[in-house]
Amino acid sequence: MEAPEIRSKIKQIIAQVAGLDPAKIGDHATLRDELNLDSLSLLEIGVDVDYAFKLGLPDERYREVASLDDMVALVEGHMAVVEARAGVA
Amino acid sequence: MKGGRRIVVTGIGAVTPVGTGKTELWEALLAGRSGFSAVESFDTRGHTVHQGAEVRGFRPADHVRHLDPARLGRASQFAIAAAWLALADAGIDPADAVAVDPERAGVAMGTTSGEPREIERLDDCLLAAKPEDVGAWFADLYPCHVLASHVAAEVGFEGPNTVIPTACAAGNYAIAHALDLLSAGRAELMLAGGADAFSRITYTGFARLGAIAPETCQPFDRNRKGMIPGEGAGMVVLEPLDRARRRGARIYAEVAGYGLSCDAHHMTAAHPEGSGAARAMERALAESGRNASEVSYISAHGTGTPTNDRLESLAVKRVFGEGARKVPISSIKSMLGHTMGAASAIEAAVCALAVYEDKIPPTMNLEEPDPECDLDCVPNVARELSVRVAMNNAYAFGGNNASLILEKHER
Amino acid sequence: MSGDRRVVLTGAGVVSPLGDTGAALHAALLAGRSALSPVTLFPTDGLPAFLVGELAGFDAQASLGEGNLRPLDRISRMVVVAAERALTASGFSRPLRAGREVGLVLGTMLSGVRTIAEFDRRGLTRGPSYVSPLDFANTVINAAAGQTAIWHDLRGVNSTIAGSAASGLQAIASAVDLIRSGRADALLAGGADELCYETLLGFARTGRLCGAGVRPLPFDPRRSGFALAEGAALVMLEEAESAAARGAVVLAEVRGHGTAFDRSRGADPARAARAVTRALVAALDDAGLQPEAIDALSAAANGSVLGDAAEAAGIAAVFPGRPGRPPKDLPISAVKGLLGEALGAGGALQVIDLLETMRESVAVRHALIDAMGFDGQHAAVVLARPDGSGR
Repeated sequence: MEAPEIRSKIKQIIAQVAGLDPAKIGDHATLRDELNLDSLSLLEIGVDVDYAFKLGLPDERYREVASLDDMVALVEGHMAVVEARAGVA
Repeated sequence: MKGGRRIVVTGIGAVTPVGTGKTELWEALLAGRSGFSAVESFDTRGHTVHQGAEVRGFRPADHVRHLDPARLGRASQFAIAAAWLALADAGIDPADAVAVDPERAGVAMGTTSGEPREIERLDDCLLAAKPEDVGAWFADLYPCHVLASHVAAEVGFEGPNTVIPTACAAGNYAIAHALDLLSAGRAELMLAGGADAFSRITYTGFARLGAIAPETCQPFDRNRKGMIPGEGAGMVVLEPLDRARRRGARIYAEVAGYGLSCDAHHMTAAHPEGSGAARAMERALAESGRNASEVSYISAHGTGTPTNDRLESLAVKRVFGEGARKVPISSIKSMLGHTMGAASAIEAAVCALAVYEDKIPPTMNLEEPDPECDLDCVPNVARELSVRVAMNNAYAFGGNNASLILEKHER
Repeated sequence: MSGDRRVVLTGAGVVSPLGDTGAALHAALLAGRSALSPVTLFPTDGLPAFLVGELAGFDAQASLGEGNLRPLDRISRMVVVAAERALTASGFSRPLRAGREVGLVLGTMLSGVRTIAEFDRRGLTRGPSYVSPLDFANTVINAAAGQTAIWHDLRGVNSTIAGSAASGLQAIASAVDLIRSGRADALLAGGADELCYETLLGFARTGRLCGAGVRPLPFDPRRSGFALAEGAALVMLEEAESAAARGAVVLAEVRGHGTAFDRSRGADPARAARAVTRALVAALDDAGLQPEAIDALSAAANGSVLGDAAEAAGIAAVFPGRPGRPPKDLPISAVKGLLGEALGAGGALQVIDLLETMRESVAVRHALIDAMGFDGQHAAVVLARPDGSGR
């Protein structure tokens, strides 16, 4: 998956949980502060992102995510790892 | 207390992970027996946690006398068993028309999930693409009002019939409702309590929230990791004091009053200052005409989650002030696990026993106290002491808080 | 039994297939407009083409404006909107609620059954770690009441009552008692239930729904069962003096309520009829009224073969008239023929409909609402005109 697709998909997930139009979510939006999301909603986002990208990461990884940028970096980083491993294998 | 007749507890019945019946339950709690084991009622392989507090070896046919056990969900079976046990304990035969006017006898039950196995069964049919396997059983067995209608149909009570499904505080709500009906003269006799059956839906949900402890439940312990979901039923017989005296009933305790509050804050997290919990306690005390300093024992909600126990301790300190550290407070969820809608009903029954016998159960598995829970948590050993006034706290999803006060009845 | 504190009704909020206000609902019923049509909300997967009363096009966001609705499931949204309407109608603004606690007693038969089932199925198909945390919060039966309290800052007593199709009226009765006993001065009370595949399938299997394409005919000899509907309906109940002190418009007084349980759970017609009678008589006694004082009665009848017969017999035993028949001049409405059986919302919708009847006709000084659950629950409520006539 290409980078813009990843960012777009993550934005869509966050938007759905936040009850917002994805277009209204800035690229550097912070989840707790700007988007006013509580811990239950943040957990939901983690679950949905993990499922969408088939990452299989523990909850703790998602608790470190504070912004859309963080989430994109987390997903891209992990997918790069997966792809690199796949490439090696 | 708020106007009306004085109401007392004259019978206790329970089905729990550590025993069935008042005596088994009470002895197990005083001995610190654990009800935890690996979950058997469904496959937990896909989960990261596997411990539960299930009721083992329960045989419905041993307890259900008139209705067909096969047409009852598990929570209804528990509720019926607890109802008969409570009635026997109270020395009441519902078929004795001289002793009981059925139109003046009612049932009030609390629950979190009602009969979750029935909806799980529906889902199994739908996922197997076999909707034809869904029969009349779903509409007949599943809706949670059946907990009260099944009990009343079984024992023959024709008075008020209510289910108050306020989740983990439901038992207290049901007893409070029964108290009000009796005080106002709308009934002469009430069975009140709560029931819940072990459920993969409930287990999966709490596991997803990270709320389930991997090994054991350690309320108020510094290293506590969460709750252990359980199941069961607790039931008390409530009647007016004068009626109990007239028939020479054993009186465990008087239900002096209750307090309710709603956090209106968050669905699964309590208010961060414990204010809702504090309000419920204060109201219960006010209604009972008691000062906090008069409370001898608190049966905590004490689920064993990091957040609940910390906030509950905070709320207790707000209400009890300087005296907070002197009031023994224990959580029997350390032995029973969290029996959901049954929990506060079982805990209320235990408070009645504490008042009657001047003994209090311990908080088990308390190895290292949490400085934020710096109360007398009755660690690991039951205690004898004079229990004049007991407070039972319960807090639920949706911000439903309820505190109940039971007092010693002078003989 | 009623003590010194009186309970008045100062507003209502409705989310129904026949209208979004009490007036609209009542006008539709008077015009004989039916809420019932084939299912459009969900695939019916081979179920017969039952007629249902759907809230087609229910858009909570449009009614509420701003706010993130994602954490709320559909039934919670229905209750939030009904509460919004009742709070507005009764003039209980947000600033006013900050100073005085308003609570909520909500009746429901099945609550978020769809949410619960979907949560469970997702856990089974995707695995337990992929269930929805937000949905889990809505799997408890008191979820809609909790969500509504959060949305509208309702810090008063919050409770949920499950009494089958009598839930809504039981909730109103419970709220009356809470106000009378001084535990609350203002409570929203009523009920809600949502239509979904699981509910339709479940009731279809009982054989108690009227057939595909068939309309329910309450009390009619040709009746063959009921039709399901959905909705949410709440009334604002207040202690009379505090309502007067804040200048609230009083629509009616809730003078009394009664309850009974049929231990045969509907199987024994004589017991069932007797339970109807007991609930009605208890409500009249609580209101301090004789049967002759009742000018209108809203029946629970929904087209059920047994249930309607029991209710008719139970009513006849209370009201003087020709032997075995209710009196000719007591108007008895059976709204579920047009509205369908909205389960937990039913009793509250009946109350709101009768409010409109009272508003239109000064001859209606006292009205009686009857509710029946499928498992033996019976409840009745007496309303009185607010002008104090009859006291």
